[in-house]
Amino acid sequence: MRCIKCRAPANVEVRRHRSAFCAGCYPDWFRTQVQRTIDDDRMFSRDDRVLVAISGGKDSLALWHALLRLGYQADGMYIRLGIGEYSERSQAKSEAFAAKHGLRLHQVDLAADHGFTIPQMRNQREGKPCAACGTVKRYHFNKVAVDLGYSVVATGHNLDDEAATLFGNVLHWQTDFLGRQGPVLESTHSNLARKVKPLYRLAERDSAAYAIIERIDYIVEECPMAVGAKSLAYKDTLNALEETQPGLKYQFLVGFLRQGRKAVKTEDPVQIRECAKCGQPTTAEVCAYCRMVERRLKKLPSLASPLGGEGGEGQQQ
Amino acid sequence: MGDVKVTILPRRETREVEAADVGHLLRSLGLHQDAYIVIRDDVILTRDVRLQSGDQIEVWPVISGGS
Ligand code: SF4
Ligand SMILES: [Zn+2]
Ligand SMILES: [Zn+2]
Repeated sequence: MRCIKCRAPANVEVRRHRSAFCAGCYPDWFRTQVQRTIDDDRMFSRDDRVLVAISGGKDSLALWHALLRLGYQADGMYIRLGIGEYSERSQAKSEAFAAKHGLRLHQVDLAADHGFTIPQMRNQREGKPCAACGTVKRYHFNKVAVDLGYSVVATGHNLDDEAATLFGNVLHWQTDFLGRQGPVLESTHSNLARKVKPLYRLAERDSAAYAIIERIDYIVEECPMAVGAKSLAYKDTLNALEETQPGLKYQFLVGFLRQGRKAVKTEDPVQIRECAKCGQPTTAEVCAYCRMVERRLKKLPSLASPLGGEGGEGQQQ
Repeated sequence: MGDVKVTILPRRETREVEAADVGHLLRSLGLHQDAYIVIRDDVILTRDVRLQSGDQIEVWPVISGGS
């Protein structure tokens, strides 16, 4: 296989585009795709201050790297989730990346600042804390962005993530989620940051190849809590189909965004107000994050002390 | 066609596999092309690259899970 730009031996094939690139030409192709996505979906401009949600994985670090190369003002934010060695290693990778490139990385430490860790938030039925983890991430990324005046939060969600989410929402006919799934979530309240996904048209493999070629040192291992996650089964199924139908994931997702979403979009304007406890935007009296933390702390009265938080009263927001 | 030495990340499990090219290698390991990157001597390989007996190959997973 040869590079479609310079005819040198190719390193990265992008089957859905029927293209292949050498390691020299690939990073430019990747960044051009990111730029096009940002422009086509009017995500942000070079005047905006962007807060990139960093996990230490390939997607978030590749995104941060690409945004800086494209000339955007992008700072990072990392949440210390307290998932054992995995968290320690991903934190180290995130900090090392920021230090190497002289970048600003904001951090929230759940155990020290809020008195709990993600493994303690396991759902009793599923045994997984992923739903809680999602709530925690949305809450803190939004809060830091609003408090520090960033105009937009960018996450590293890629084509595989978005196609798997769509697949799951279709399988279960989650029409309310379907109506809200998209690469741009507009702000509907002054305390709610805009959220964008500049990698949503690039496959997971594309961002890994970018990270490897650009020598970005990311955490290759998986979060231990992800074992057995439904999203992994959906990705596997979609990748099995993609083997013989290259481009299927892209068509599925982009086809939905262009055509399907209209059909399910619920236009009832949800009333956003401020959480009675913390002031963050919510549709309820008390926000999902505050309710979750309260529920857990009731069940785990001695939660804060072994973590080095405030003895017995981990509820500080 | 001889055996290539394969190391699968992140746990670095090792296998010896008979495979003529990269596509064949992934198929014999039962892995999807979109879920892995194959590297030899620090260089990423496309699926048509021919493999030689004794090649040291790294297979990197690219899929992450969770919410
Ligand atoms: S796998 Fe679950 S717990 Fe781990 S980071 Fe992802 S959402 Fe959080
Ligand atoms: Zn080239
Ligand atoms: Zn609240």
